[in-house]
Amino acid sequence: MATQDTISASAINGSALSLRNRRIAKHIGIFLALIILWEIGSRIGWLDPLFYPRPSNILRSFWLIYVANANVWFHLYATMSLVLLGWILGSVLGIGLGALVGFNAVLRRFLKPYVIVLEATPRIAVAPLLIAALGFGVSSKLAIIMLVCFFAPFINTLSGVMNVDEDRLELFRSMRASKSQILRKLVLPDAIPVIMAGERLALTAALSGALVAEFIQRDKGIGSLILVYTRNLNMSSAFACIFTLTILGFLIFKGMEKLDHYIAYWKHEDGRERMSLKRRRKIGGHSDV
Amino acid sequence: MSDRPLPLSFRAIDLGIRILPHLIIFAILIGIWEVAMAMGLITSIMIPRPSAIGGSIVELYITEGTIYRHFFITLTEAVLGFLIGASIAVSLAVCSSLSDPFRRYVTPYAIVLNVTPGIALTPVIIAWFGYGMGSKIALAAIISFFPIFVNTLTGLVQVDEDREELFKSLGAGNTQIFRKLRVPAALPLMFAGFKIGLTTALIGAVVAEFAQATDGVGVLMSRFSFQLNMAASLATLLSMTLIGLLLFYSMEFLDDRIVFWRREGRRAAASRARSKAWAAQARK
Repeated sequence: MATQDTISASAINGSALSLRNRRIAKHIGIFLALIILWEIGSRIGWLDPLFYPRPSNILRSFWLIYVANANVWFHLYATMSLVLLGWILGSVLGIGLGALVGFNAVLRRFLKPYVIVLEATPRIAVAPLLIAALGFGVSSKLAIIMLVCFFAPFINTLSGVMNVDEDRLELFRSMRASKSQILRKLVLPDAIPVIMAGERLALTAALSGALVAEFIQRDKGIGSLILVYTRNLNMSSAFACIFTLTILGFLIFKGMEKLDHYIAYWKHEDGRERMSLKRRRKIGGHSDV
Repeated sequence: MSDRPLPLSFRAIDLGIRILPHLIIFAILIGIWEVAMAMGLITSIMIPRPSAIGGSIVELYITEGTIYRHFFITLTEAVLGFLIGASIAVSLAVCSSLSDPFRRYVTPYAIVLNVTPGIALTPVIIAWFGYGMGSKIALAAIISFFPIFVNTLTGLVQVDEDREELFKSLGAGNTQIFRKLRVPAALPLMFAGFKIGLTTALIGAVVAEFAQATDGVGVLMSRFSFQLNMAASLATLLSMTLIGLLLFYSMEFLDDRIVFWRREGRRAAASRARSKAWAAQARK
């Protein structure tokens, strides 16, 4: 009986795996077909290669900007260092102010109209103003990134701190929980996942903000690189930069997911397991677990 | 009927009482700013006086009225871009919800489009669509696509199993299930997506105007900024806030009318209207 079970399980497993493999193969097939169609269309003359670069040229540009000329690294570093710094500063500001406003009802009431107005304004639109006020260079870029990524953590902290389950609050109070206990054991566990969601939005916004600042300043950074390549009608290199940003965006997405699983571990299965393992080790000293 | 709205005059007085302290605080803040500037506590050409901003607002919006042309151009760009992006997003999402293979083959590309900062495409889009309104509309459409796609797809796919069971056991066809079950379940999420999409469409239009344009509030803004005319620049920023508010609240209004069953008051109003219509029909 047992052997039969294991056999059927492995068979199911195997068929699921092969189904998965077949699907992935189909995805890759369709992708390659599209690329080849693009390449052929460009070579026959359906697509103007000046504006719609050939896949082969984009690959060559990847080689050029990463290895042969290796000029993309400098710009990537210039952009990403500012994005990360601005993101950290902006979210510290956002979370701090959000908590302040979330805990203080009077402040909340009087800040609400300003928050609504700020929410409706496209915040990237302030970029030229900040550049004019702070001058070209790092400080204005940093200010733009901070401004752009301040808002999501602010709003999410605000709503995370405020949306406390009334019944649970009642329970905590009736058990005579102190204020700090309510904060640590009730408010924060519910608020931190929401704040982390805001952080993810903020990091994406920070990258966009940096790009806009670089489009306007045109000194260094991946945004100005894209702009310069496009102006020179070197579209294949511009596309190589854009696909670099796609990869970067994907890494940001994955990185934030990892960070979320690490910080808000109680919301995710694997995080809970990791934490319980860690605690068990600390408490019991089971080295074999 | 306790849920009948109060007479208009009462509501106006109530609103006035609630707004008054806000207005007073706003006036005090502006007053402190103005006095500090006048006394020379803050000296910077980068920080304009409130009175100068007020003067610029009067000039731009009333005496010269230069803002309106740019205002409507940006508004048109954002709305057209949103409409194009939303129609593509909704149709793709509907197709994906109806067919599993289609969904499998479309989602990876949608995700790639999502993780790429849409703003990065600005120079390329301008090279493709030219310096006119076309490039702004295209960028707005691309940027607003993803939130609408994801929300519509999520809304259409997540359906209460029990309800679907009920529909099937009552012999509902696929079309009926789609129209009466899936679409109503999806609409609230769709509207949430529309609101995000509309905001991002405005961002797309404005950013494309920064990069290259001749008309629009984005251009006006960067022109004033680089002339160091901060007062006029802030006055222009106000127009973007106005566009944002206008777009957001018109979408909120549509949300209220179309997804009427979510809000108590609107549901009551809709049921009143229907019972009146039925009564009128019965009388005939």
